[in-house]
Amino acid sequence: MFACIYIPDFPVGAIVRTDPSLSERAVAVLEGKPPQMRVIALNEKARRLGMEINMTKLQAAVFAAPGEKSPVILRQQSPQQEKSTHSALLDVAHTFTPRVEDTAADTLLLDLAGMERLCGAPAKMARALASRVRAVGLKANIALAGNPDAAMHAARGFNGITVIPNGKEAQRLGVLPLGVLLEASELSLDKNSDVGRERKKLREQMLDTLERWGVRDFRMLAQLPEHALASRLGGAGTHWQRLARGANMRTLALCSPPSRFEETMELESPVETLEPLLFILNRLLEQLSARLEARALAVQELHLRLQLEQRVAEEEPTTIQELTCSSDTAGPAIFERTLRLPVAMRDVKVFLKLLQLELAAHSPGAPVTKMWIRAEPAPPRSAQRGLFLPISPAPERLEITLARISGIIGEQRVGMAHLLDSRKPDSFRLGRFVAAPEESKPAKHPTLSGGGEITRLALRMFRPPRQLRVRLSEDRPLTLTTVAKQADCTGPQGNVLWSAGPWRSSGDWWMAKSNDDGKRSESFDREEWDVALADENGGSVALYRIYRDLASEHWFADASYD
Amino acid sequence: MASAAPLRARLESSLPERLSSTLRLREVAPLTVTTGIAALDALTGGLPRGALSEIIGPVSSGHTGVILAALAEATCRREVCALIDASDSFDPASAAAAGVDLERLLWVRCSDRPRRKFDAVRTGRTKPALPAASGFAFSDVLEHVLKVTDLLLQSGGFGMVVLDLGDIPPESTRRIPLTSWFRFRRAVEPTATVLLLVEQESCAKTCASLVVRLRREAVFTSDSASIHTFGGCQVVASGESGIPENNIVSHAALLRGMRLHAEVVRSTMTSSAKGSFDGNRGSAQRKPAQSADVDFELRSMW
Repeated sequence: MFACIYIPDFPVGAIVRTDPSLSERAVAVLEGKPPQMRVIALNEKARRLGMEINMTKLQAAVFAAPGEKSPVILRQQSPQQEKSTHSALLDVAHTFTPRVEDTAADTLLLDLAGMERLCGAPAKMARALASRVRAVGLKANIALAGNPDAAMHAARGFNGITVIPNGKEAQRLGVLPLGVLLEASELSLDKNSDVGRERKKLREQMLDTLERWGVRDFRMLAQLPEHALASRLGGAGTHWQRLARGANMRTLALCSPPSRFEETMELESPVETLEPLLFILNRLLEQLSARLEARALAVQELHLRLQLEQRVAEEEPTTIQELTCSSDTAGPAIFERTLRLPVAMRDVKVFLKLLQLELAAHSPGAPVTKMWIRAEPAPPRSAQRGLFLPISPAPERLEITLARISGIIGEQRVGMAHLLDSRKPDSFRLGRFVAAPEESKPAKHPTLSGGGEITRLALRMFRPPRQLRVRLSEDRPLTLTTVAKQADCTGPQGNVLWSAGPWRSSGDWWMAKSNDDGKRSESFDREEWDVALADENGGSVALYRIYRDLASEHWFADASYD
Repeated sequence: MASAAPLRARLESSLPERLSSTLRLREVAPLTVTTGIAALDALTGGLPRGALSEIIGPVSSGHTGVILAALAEATCRREVCALIDASDSFDPASAAAAGVDLERLLWVRCSDRPRRKFDAVRTGRTKPALPAASGFAFSDVLEHVLKVTDLLLQSGGFGMVVLDLGDIPPESTRRIPLTSWFRFRRAVEPTATVLLLVEQESCAKTCASLVVRLRREAVFTSDSASIHTFGGCQVVASGESGIPENNIVSHAALLRGMRLHAEVVRSTMTSSAKGSFDGNRGSAQRKPAQSADVDFELRSMW
């Protein structure tokens, strides 16, 4: 048993898929460059109004009155939207069977042999296929038959679901006009090559000949004497007759499922504000999510690409995340953002919220004319957790919370500290925070050499270290005074009540030599003191770590003991 | 009518004994978690879950050591914790040495002076959200701290959320509206989150279930030749070598430790809840516990 999925008026379907509000309106799709734009696809409502294929834009514009209440919507063909729609169709097909032939952009053939036990009777399978296709925003004709070509002709000739029992192909297909045969045979032709154009011409001539003979439909062609037909029309004629009888068996040219999950939308008018942009993004994300769900996949990374109306000044990347704002000298400016998710997820609301926060923090800076959104797929995480595991934040909520916090305090101000393998004080980097997996081992207290656990003394850092003016007595600090460059950057100052030191430390000097490009040296060479300091009133006393930078001979306070 | 009065009094006096469970307001003491310091646990009964606790004390009174010990215990229980650092003073090396699993600790650095200025310029906001006053330089930082705390508590799932306002002057923290603390308390009440507030002076007032005041009593050093006393605090030579065995030189190279004094200023937990963690319950009373204190030591990392 073979199935065919056929999307009638595919260019229209691809546009309506990303804008479902158009499904209630008459839509015509135009191709070509002005002034030679012609209608290449129409939906049923447009046909009922009297529109036809190959109309010029001027002729089509007669039906489309200006304003929002116009009965006809004219849209430019969007190859990228058609490509995304075709990928969605392939995803749906591959959820049923891996044996799929990518016959044309609007036509897929599926080998359903042996699927009855899994999916039920052919009629049930056809309904399930139609339902899955509807879920990705398309309206399809589904046909099941004993051979691929019969299924394809039935799908192209009959609306809705058609199931042809084995042996009844000729009977069911008999009513179809020969034009269906011509359309189907043209799918395999390369229209851009000379050979393809020549073959197309020959087939049109053959159709004319058949019509002159009075052969109008499949039944009449099937009833012609085979030898007589072969002597007049050759091998092509007998091949058409086999097709008309529904008796042509062939093997499918199988294709692999698409590995790229991308949705595109071209906007009729540039979008300037965030809210309508999010509205459109929501649609694209829903389509993307439906495709991923069909393949039982989730999103690990989300790439957003926006084409801007006018070129904007390039900004320097300011975040750890990828920020590319590039513009070709000839083309329009492109704005890109990448969302890296901590865990694979498929929740459209979460994606939308994260994109909203991201775009609010980093505005494209110009109206958007076109958008792409691409997902890097990953296997979904298992949601089952242990009953006795400690509580932890839900990854989706945590990600949104972190994005919101970043919006308040800035990026690279929130995350997880990673200690660096260095003896330099305050050596760490702030990484992305991801709630640690449950199976990771719990942390253990470091123990003293003698064993037992002791509460540790902690440091509170001054970032950046506060510069001091230190008065020495017998080479020991006596009084400290802050060299404050900013009013809220004052450091410790007062009389030193007690001091211990010096403790000398140095390191990373080998990095200083390789760092001759004018940047600040990474090496450190310092003399540390621990001091107890009384404030000016002599009331409170605090303990600080101060140091003298031996390279610059300046004093700094870099931490307090607490 | 006169003869009915003694009868009524007798009935009322006997009812509470017979119907104790219906007439008494049944309150359940909160679950508590260990602070990581045995002496403090014995004193306070641990940190209550679903409540706001305060650790107060001046600069260098050891509150950072206490919160790191509590965070170490929480991360040891594989809980995810958050530290909202108002003055960007958290030292990851100290935390790692104290046993904090940094992979389970979300660090929010609220103090970002260039960013603050940038934001002010960008948003064109001239009035701070908190009450403005002369010298109130930390209003933006505190505004961020409160917003971030709100977000984290609403997000849920954290075992412990620490607000470190230890370097913010008390005159600034006092200006935080009491409604903020009340909101935070209500946010954590139905959860198992420990909300820990570290500051120099108590500012959450009655919203805090537990308030512990810390004071430094003595400092141990490997360097001093004799015992000094300053500001009521002793400097004691520990007699240990100045060179650590593990040769880690960057942290507390000279100071060997501190002896601290802790005092419970306020607690809504009864003595029956004290000393028992995660599961033992006792009836709570809504009045301050009697002031109690204890001494313990913080030692440097070797």
